[in-house]
Amino acid sequence: MDILSQQLFNGLTIGSVYSLVALGLTLVYGILHIPNFAHGAMYMLGAYVTLTMMLLWGIHYWLAMAVSVLVVGLLSVLMERLVFHPLRNAPPIHDKIAAIGILLFLEALAQLIWGADYRSMGTPYGEVINLFGLTVTMQRVLINVGAVVVMLLLYLFLKKTMVGSTIIAMAQNREGAHLVGINTNKVAMLTFLISGGLAAIAASLAAPINLVFPGMGHLVILKAFVIIILGGMGSIPGAILGGYILGFSESLGATYLSNDYKDIIAFLLLVIILSFRPKGLFAREGF
Amino acid sequence: MNKFRVIVFLSVLSIVFVLAGCIENPSDEASGEGTEKETETPSTEGGEKLVNIGFSGPLSGPAAYYGERSFSGLEMAAEEINKNGGFEVDGQTYKINLVSLDDKYLPNEAAANAKRLVQEHQTPIVYTPHSGGVKAMQVFNEQEKFLIGAYTSEPDVTEAGNSLTVRIPPRYDNYIEPFTNYTMERFGKKLAALPTSTQYGKDWSETLLPYWKEQGGEVIYDSSIDFSKETDFFTLVTNALKEDPDVLFIGGPSEPTAKLVKQARELGFEGGFIIMDQAKLDEMKKVTKADSYELFEGSIGVMPLVNADYPGTPQFVENYQEKYENDPGSEAGFHYISLYVFVEAMKAAGTVDDSEAIRAHIQDGLDQLPKEKQVYVIDEVGKDGGFKADRSVAAIEEGEIVPIKVGE
Repeated sequence: MDILSQQLFNGLTIGSVYSLVALGLTLVYGILHIPNFAHGAMYMLGAYVTLTMMLLWGIHYWLAMAVSVLVVGLLSVLMERLVFHPLRNAPPIHDKIAAIGILLFLEALAQLIWGADYRSMGTPYGEVINLFGLTVTMQRVLINVGAVVVMLLLYLFLKKTMVGSTIIAMAQNREGAHLVGINTNKVAMLTFLISGGLAAIAASLAAPINLVFPGMGHLVILKAFVIIILGGMGSIPGAILGGYILGFSESLGATYLSNDYKDIIAFLLLVIILSFRPKGLFAREGF
Repeated sequence: MNKFRVIVFLSVLSIVFVLAGCIENPSDEASGEGTEKETETPSTEGGEKLVNIGFSGPLSGPAAYYGERSFSGLEMAAEEINKNGGFEVDGQTYKINLVSLDDKYLPNEAAANAKRLVQEHQTPIVYTPHSGGVKAMQVFNEQEKFLIGAYTSEPDVTEAGNSLTVRIPPRYDNYIEPFTNYTMERFGKKLAALPTSTQYGKDWSETLLPYWKEQGGEVIYDSSIDFSKETDFFTLVTNALKEDPDVLFIGGPSEPTAKLVKQARELGFEGGFIIMDQAKLDEMKKVTKADSYELFEGSIGVMPLVNADYPGTPQFVENYQEKYENDPGSEAGFHYISLYVFVEAMKAAGTVDDSEAIRAHIQDGLDQLPKEKQVYVIDEVGKDGGFKADRSVAAIEEGEIVPIKVGE
């Protein structure tokens, strides 16, 4: 087993999950300039909804994931309507506090509904396969392929459809978008819908290789924030590239430098990149 | 607009209730309470009095499950005692009232909780299920005169010489020798260490690794894993297996540890596992799809309580399963038995509030413990306050739990 290629694959897997989570976060930031801490809770809920569908009604994994995307997406829209929309004219700090509040609320709610214990999500794709001398499981291949497919679809949606263009327009200039007749309310809701859906997809893909529990959002949310700062707040290519950079730096850093210091390596990278490009790898215009 | 909000709120609420019925939920009764909860105050009849017993543990956050399971042992013991009419000390009948506070697994919160329990509820005994909390309470427990029910296998907490600490489970360093001998003989001399990165995991490493080398073994990989930060363990496991070890030393909460085993097997590891006492083999088994020990072949760890054969175990396991619809872990078992021991000690001491007298009569409490309550066999309490329990060790051989004899 070649250690380097194995670790590259591991880095790719973890990077895919990070990217998907960071994408949802960066989309919302790009449009509304809200650092949505509650995104971690959306990730957690995504995993729980998929798991519930699978256990309770025996729904197939993919179908359960689709339901989860819908449910979490709508919850995300609801969150925008009930919390962030009324706060649109408040000072920015209020959004932050509200987001943290939602995070804590949803975590406690999940613990109330599903209990505090760890749960395991079994998928039909557990088998181990040998891919060019690498040991991988089917689920890991799915994570990688799934992430790329989702990113491509998102790209096509934003660049090639009218609705998608409205999101970009609003990210570039909110007032301008309003002036040319874009309904900013609708666009904000749409953005939250996509963001929640992305979190649900990421969680449903990643949950089988780990566990499902109320605190699972913390595993990814801090790293997702690092990624969007690294990539440029609000930038989509930045989120994707940043996710993979963090994934690779973790797996290679743990292998060739030191496992105990791999987080330091990731943050050092952040400092270095920010000192050369203070606004992140892709500043906003690269949306 | 307001009407719209009310409708939305109500529909969300109804979704929550629909979901609340979802997935059979073993820990439902114990879960979800906020920062403070007081169990229902038991009814006292004429002339009966209440003794408050304190508990400070993680009831929210990532370790909530552990805290709830620990508390469930106390809860069960207290309910049984109260149902049987309480207990009599010096002609006065008492019932037990448990007061629990959430410390989120933090030492400083545990200390604040202990203060509050002692001052507001006059608890003679305060339980806490983590070594950090115990150490924080030890700073002032002798002045404030309360006994610490320390559920931790960390030997430090009793070696410090605190006169009002009772360590309930066996010290972990007792396990080092049997674990080493078994795996070294069965699998070989090359060890890779990948335990949890908590202080407890580090202490284990620092005890196990030197002993392993002393016995002629070789440590080829030494690192740790932070279960609260890693989304995926593949990277770390790949590194640990790089040099082809015979034995993997792992541990942490049961469920993530089981995932670690699974991923090591996926990566082609065929050796044995030394499993820290924090993880329980029976809980680990439940995480695997097949619900069998096949994956864990060659693991050595603490004997799961459901498989133990002490006098009081079968009855306890049955009652626990009935009440909580789940298998009890050792944390529930030890908390259960310890409350009985404390009650017996109170009887022998003839007081319910003098913690020094209670501590002095713990040995009598152990001697007086009825056989049917012996979920574990604890012969004596050491001078330092540590229970000397029969340590029982189990290994997985051909997919079955096999008890391993431990030479004294």
